[in-house]
Amino acid sequence: MTPILSVQSLSVQFGALRAVNDVSFEARQGAITAVIGPNGAGKSSLFNLISGAIRPTAGSVRFDGVDVTAQPPHRLLASGLSRSFQITNLFFDLSVRENLRLAAQFLEQGRGLLRPVRHSATARRRVDELLEQFDLGGKADDLAGYLSHGEQRRLEIAVSLASRPRMLLLDEPTQGMSHSDTHETEALIRRLSRDHGLTILLVEHDVELVMNLSDHVVVMHQGQKLAEGRPAEVRANAAVQTAYFGEKT
Amino acid sequence: MSSPITTTAVAAAPAAHRAPARRLSAASWLAIVFFAGALLFGAVALALGDVFYLRLATEALIFGGLALSVDLLLGRVGLLPLGQALFFGLGAYVSALVLKHWTDSIWLALAVALVFSALAGLVGGLIAIRSKGVYFALISFGLAQVVSKLIYNTRELGASDGIIGVPAAAMAPGLGSGTPQVFFLLVLGLIGAFYLALRYLMDTPMGRQLDAIRINEHRVAFLGVDAWRYKLGAFVAAACIAGVSGALYPMLRGFVSPELMFFQVSGHAVINVIVGGTGTLIGPLYGSAILTGLRSVVGSFTAHHHIVIGVLFVVVVILMPRGLIGYATPVLQRWLDRRHHSAGDRT
Amino acid sequence: MNHALDWLQFVLAPQMINGLSIGVAVVLMALGLTIIFGLLDVINMAHGEFYAIGAYLAVALLGLGLSFWWALVLTPLLMAVLGYATERGLIQRVFHSKDRHTLTLLLTFGVAVVLEDALKIVFGANPLRVEAPIAGATEVLGLFFPNYRLFVMLLGGALITAVWLLVFRTSLGAVVRAAAYDRHMSASLGVPVQRVYAATFAFGVALAGIAGVLLAPIYSVFPTMGRDFVLIAFSVVIIGGMGSIKGAVLAGLLLTQVQSISSLYISPVWSDPLLFGIMVLVLMWRPQGLFGKLGSA
Repeated sequence: MTPILSVQSLSVQFGALRAVNDVSFEARQGAITAVIGPNGAGKSSLFNLISGAIRPTAGSVRFDGVDVTAQPPHRLLASGLSRSFQITNLFFDLSVRENLRLAAQFLEQGRGLLRPVRHSATARRRVDELLEQFDLGGKADDLAGYLSHGEQRRLEIAVSLASRPRMLLLDEPTQGMSHSDTHETEALIRRLSRDHGLTILLVEHDVELVMNLSDHVVVMHQGQKLAEGRPAEVRANAAVQTAYFGEKT
Repeated sequence: MSSPITTTAVAAAPAAHRAPARRLSAASWLAIVFFAGALLFGAVALALGDVFYLRLATEALIFGGLALSVDLLLGRVGLLPLGQALFFGLGAYVSALVLKHWTDSIWLALAVALVFSALAGLVGGLIAIRSKGVYFALISFGLAQVVSKLIYNTRELGASDGIIGVPAAAMAPGLGSGTPQVFFLLVLGLIGAFYLALRYLMDTPMGRQLDAIRINEHRVAFLGVDAWRYKLGAFVAAACIAGVSGALYPMLRGFVSPELMFFQVSGHAVINVIVGGTGTLIGPLYGSAILTGLRSVVGSFTAHHHIVIGVLFVVVVILMPRGLIGYATPVLQRWLDRRHHSAGDRT
Repeated sequence: MNHALDWLQFVLAPQMINGLSIGVAVVLMALGLTIIFGLLDVINMAHGEFYAIGAYLAVALLGLGLSFWWALVLTPLLMAVLGYATERGLIQRVFHSKDRHTLTLLLTFGVAVVLEDALKIVFGANPLRVEAPIAGATEVLGLFFPNYRLFVMLLGGALITAVWLLVFRTSLGAVVRAAAYDRHMSASLGVPVQRVYAATFAFGVALAGIAGVLLAPIYSVFPTMGRDFVLIAFSVVIIGGMGSIKGAVLAGLLLTQVQSISSLYISPVWSDPLLFGIMVLVLMWRPQGLFGKLGSA
């Protein structure tokens, strides 16, 4: 498995605060890589750097050999990277179907912009696929704002998947979820990786989920990379245990 | 500036993802009523030999076009333009100049106004679209203030008097803006075309992206969409609609003046949209019709119709922010749904 | 060399001093606007009208036989009452809606329309003149300046300093700033947030009113004066940074200087476009203004 995402010496500074300090790691194609760390470790900032939401003050991000470091967010999808959001960031006033359709429109590559929506057959088929895959068919015509939290989180992931990205960045996918929803999400992520060969990078608070799911784990602490390796290695790492000492997970 | 006062409009729009409905939605019915009503009005005026009210109605439609352009930006993209009269006035001036100095063809005047408006919209958009919310509103306002002041002070364009003595324009030999009934139909047709074009647009991926930008601009970028381009496109389209509507004005009244670009006109357009129903597209047309009529009626009693409209507007903003059509549409839709079910149709 | 000094003394300096007298009034108005925005997160599109009402109130009070000094004291008090009523009666009604930003913008815009026409109804459309309360001129730098203008500069400067002290150096100011920062927390600490909001709005409106009174003898008084002036007020606030007091003061003084110096070389027609152009450039280069924080508006 070759590295598809390569983060090199990435740093970002907010005033006096070095939120991310010289972080480097690689994510392999087809693998599930997780970034964990206690609160304030800089996971979200790292995530925002990789997904183009903020610009780094130093370092680079390469995806599949291409430098995507300072790319504006809307070019990310064209590079094959897609992200989901920690705070559910859907179009709450639109139906589930429309949320997915907007995301799937990317597959049309700019065709049919001025033809009626029903003519975008590729997008339409993708929406039906996603509705089934994520078990949202029954709620397709409901407004996204009216879904339960767990359903919204599912929709959030579905939306980020709609454009058939090669790599998916998941920002705390189980944020605020119940146990059963978390297990379902875990299974979903595993399916996406195994059955669809999707490369996944996830940032998570739920350490247990991460240990069950990931092929590779990166631990951050106070903006820096503390350790990385397979889940078992990382779990046994003394420095990691110290960093998490007293942390609720 | 996401504007859920327009959500009803989106939810009430014909659902293109369902199997094509064999019955018309409430929004469509309200549009049919408007245009049918306008035709009826024209017929009655013709029968009664009236010209004054026909001209007033034509003017209401012309300003309805301006209101449509405001609604495209406010109700669909989520940007509040406080200076849209700029394009309206520019279109009017261009049209007046063409008619006075070049040709009396309506079509040529409109075509030139269209091109000019598109260019002006591009320039204005490049300046304004980078901003959102109140900044956009103020840039739009400022642009109109600045350009209108410049024109006010330009002798070659008639300065404060504007351009007078614009000749009647011709659609076809012998048929033109000199005939109020014919011109009324032309304007109705043109505004109707704009309305239908915008309705159609909202059901295309392009239009849906504009809605998405209004609802959650932040997310849209992560769906691979460059919001700036879409907003600029919408701004230029709105400028074109405003400009072509403005181009009709000198054909009706025979003159243009810098006042067509003043804040009064922009402000009234916004009021027409809010009272009629933001985002509904037909609402602004209703709003323009009702408020033009109201201004005329109140204006015959007192010179201070502005304050009446202003108070009405404030009341609407506080009590009925979705506007007349914004409230009427779901009510009508429920009624239609109930009738549909009780009639036992199968879809 | 002599030419340059002469130019400085007899051309530039007078323009700058004149500009300063306008500048302090503009700053007062901008302060009102930026304080209202900084605390209530409300864009007061009617701010120009409140400025006009201030001027008209002065006209009315003078018409009743009161002296200019009485007008100067009473007008801000009356304006504060008007502002308080506007905030409690109108703005608070849309304050809690999800659409707050759009609705308050539209609402204050509507209020502006109503107020402007109300002025026209009550006072007529013709421009009115207000006599300057102080006659004569004083020699400064070898030139004579109208005493009234000098007075405006001094009083304006004093008021600006007072506002700054009030906001940053008193416990009242601290309370207001706390309420701006975290409404709910302040409420649970016993701060009467609704009243603070209304009072702050009243305060901002009173500042606009004072500016109106001060400038009334310099410009004439006419119903659309508010609408003309509001663009410069907003330009100052945007360039200075929405919600920033420091920004309002610096941008206000700077921009009026730019206007008065440029009026030496370009026709007054270009004055507004120049200001507007600066505003647009600032927005494009630094959208939060000189001292503002991104995320406001």
